[in-house]
Amino acid sequence: MSVLAHGIGSRHDLPLSPFYAFAGAFAALFVSFLALGLLWPASRFRGDRAGRPLPVPLQRLADARPTRIAARAGGLAAALFVLLHLLLGPDGPERNPAAGAVYVLLWVGLVPASLLLGPVWRLLNPLRTLHLLVCRALARDPATGRPLPVRLGLWPAAAGLLAFTWLELVAPDPASSTALLLFLVPYGAVHLAGAARHGARWFDHADAFEVYSGLLARLSPLGRRPADRRLVLRSPFNGLDATPPTPGLVATVCVMLGSTAYDGFSDAPSWITSVQTSPLGRTTAATLGLLAAVALVATLYALCAGVTRLISGQLRHPLTVFAHSLVPIALGYLVAHYFTLLVTEGPHTVMVALGTDTSVPPEPPLAPGGIATLQVAAIVVGHVLGVVAAHDRSVRLFPPARAVAGQLPLLALMIAYTIGGLTLLLA
Amino acid sequence: MRRSPRPLRLNRLTSLTSRTAFPRLAVALLTAGALVCGASACGGRPTTHHRPGTSHEQAGGNVGRLLTADDGSGHRLRQVEATGAPAVTVAVRPDSEDGWNVHLSVRNFRFSPDSVGGAALLGRGHARLFLDGHPLARLYGPWYHLPDSLVREAGGGRTLTARLYADDHTAWAVHSTPIQATTPLTTTPSAGTPAAPRPDRTLEIVISHGKVSPAPGRTELRKGQRIELRVRTDRADTLHVHGYDKEARLPAGRTTTLTLTADHTGLFEVETHESDLLLTQLVVR
Repeated sequence: MSVLAHGIGSRHDLPLSPFYAFAGAFAALFVSFLALGLLWPASRFRGDRAGRPLPVPLQRLADARPTRIAARAGGLAAALFVLLHLLLGPDGPERNPAAGAVYVLLWVGLVPASLLLGPVWRLLNPLRTLHLLVCRALARDPATGRPLPVRLGLWPAAAGLLAFTWLELVAPDPASSTALLLFLVPYGAVHLAGAARHGARWFDHADAFEVYSGLLARLSPLGRRPADRRLVLRSPFNGLDATPPTPGLVATVCVMLGSTAYDGFSDAPSWITSVQTSPLGRTTAATLGLLAAVALVATLYALCAGVTRLISGQLRHPLTVFAHSLVPIALGYLVAHYFTLLVTEGPHTVMVALGTDTSVPPEPPLAPGGIATLQVAAIVVGHVLGVVAAHDRSVRLFPPARAVAGQLPLLALMIAYTIGGLTLLLA
Repeated sequence: MRRSPRPLRLNRLTSLTSRTAFPRLAVALLTAGALVCGASACGGRPTTHHRPGTSHEQAGGNVGRLLTADDGSGHRLRQVEATGAPAVTVAVRPDSEDGWNVHLSVRNFRFSPDSVGGAALLGRGHARLFLDGHPLARLYGPWYHLPDSLVREAGGGRTLTARLYADDHTAWAVHSTPIQATTPLTTTPSAGTPAAPRPDRTLEIVISHGKVSPAPGRTELRKGQRIELRVRTDRADTLHVHGYDKEARLPAGRTTTLTLTADHTGLFEVETHESDLLLTQLVVR
């Protein structure tokens, strides 16, 4: 495996043909301006209060102790499986399922799992389970600990996400057992220490995978209403609207968008040429590329928030209040880039884990045209969801006279992200 | 005119004669012997034939004339008259599973595995296969399966040569040139194609001092097309086509050819393993 390759997987999606890209860009622009004119003038989303409760037996089943214990045991067993394979198994993703389990089943698999079932990693997280078990053994309440500084917010998670995407996209030989152990063992140690100091809520703020899964779960139709702890079916917009405007949310979303964008352009031969001929050395050059991608996404966002503030006047946190509307755009990027990886390398990893003799991952289930359509559709749908979420937020925050003008900068930003995303698929 | 006295055969014939048609055969043999000696001015028939492994010097037999020139791999040439000299042609065709099947057609020549290492006898011996001058195998019969692995081990090559040798490992020669036949070993064998078709695209890539030229780009292919990658590098390396999992050794300073049929769609990277360079991306639509 090389510096230039993904963590795993040897087949990449074909570059998009211009037809699909133009169709996607046109659709995005069209919907954006339609939204300006036609969408509702008063806020409709009710965030956490919305939703239709699931039938009681279903809720009981989901909340039952055996279900929870089974999920926690499953998560722990899977982590142990990966760890043992990393320590004792052969090197190389063709023979060792550990790399596939981390980069495909966990990292990419969390996207559909969180979209369908909500913040699943909170339940499966082996670190949380370990912390729980140790607290049980010491007869301590897992929730006790020093309070976390409010300003910390999601910043540790953003840093963790950046570190993980660096490992996946930049590190030399990311699929080797050594690289994975060098990442996972310190990661586990840091978070267990954090949890020991601050209690289990540390994971809510600092665990990259929990925050990632939690943000994507905002778009899940399945949610939990905080008021009465009921599991409800709700519109993804309401879930998204309920995203708490925590410090570090913007950073987290920017890392999600930026790293996926970097994954896109790191496939371009021109970028690969500049990395492999760079006088700085490959890893440094690629690291700078990843940081630049995240910085670009963040700068554009900050610029847009600044303009929004100029237009609308008194907005207190223009950066954070709209950050939730970028989650669907990030989701669109993720689906467009990783769908094929999940459906080919996912089963392949399982087959390697089961010891079935397979050297070649299965063919993708869709023809090239189908994949291209799916990619464009994912990006455009993400864009539309983002536009609608931002619209609702702006009509709530701005006085009616300024509502349309106030959302213009954000709309421009979203169009930029979307067209950027399509261009990356084209490259 | 056949000039070989063939002592082994003579022995057998003698034993035959003692039982059956002694007078007629004896006359025929005497006549033949006289004719042979007269015609080729040989200094008497070679009377011994060494068992395998009991050889003396290269100049074991005194058939033909031993030249000072050698065949390029340290075996001296043994020149014989053009008329009636051994001759060889070689045909090669891809095997359906692995490598090629090589067939030698010889004239005035018999493979003599039993007596290798012994004295040179006209019209006897073995053949050797070379790929671009690199020795591949010694043959004791007309058919040989040449596995792909052997070709890769030899660093690949384009021309297969079959050369005839005497039992004492001198190379048979006529007019100071070894008796040999060549055939191009053009394409990488691929399963199911009896005659590999010509590639639709050829890509020449040179790597020197860690720089790839032409600069890595994308190679557009239609599904089902064949591409030939010709890679020359200044450092020994391994070529790898991801997704197709094709590998080839890249010996330093030589051009290695890897041919593959683009039979699944996607974007695949062609890389070197040691220096970890991207050479090109295959875009198969």
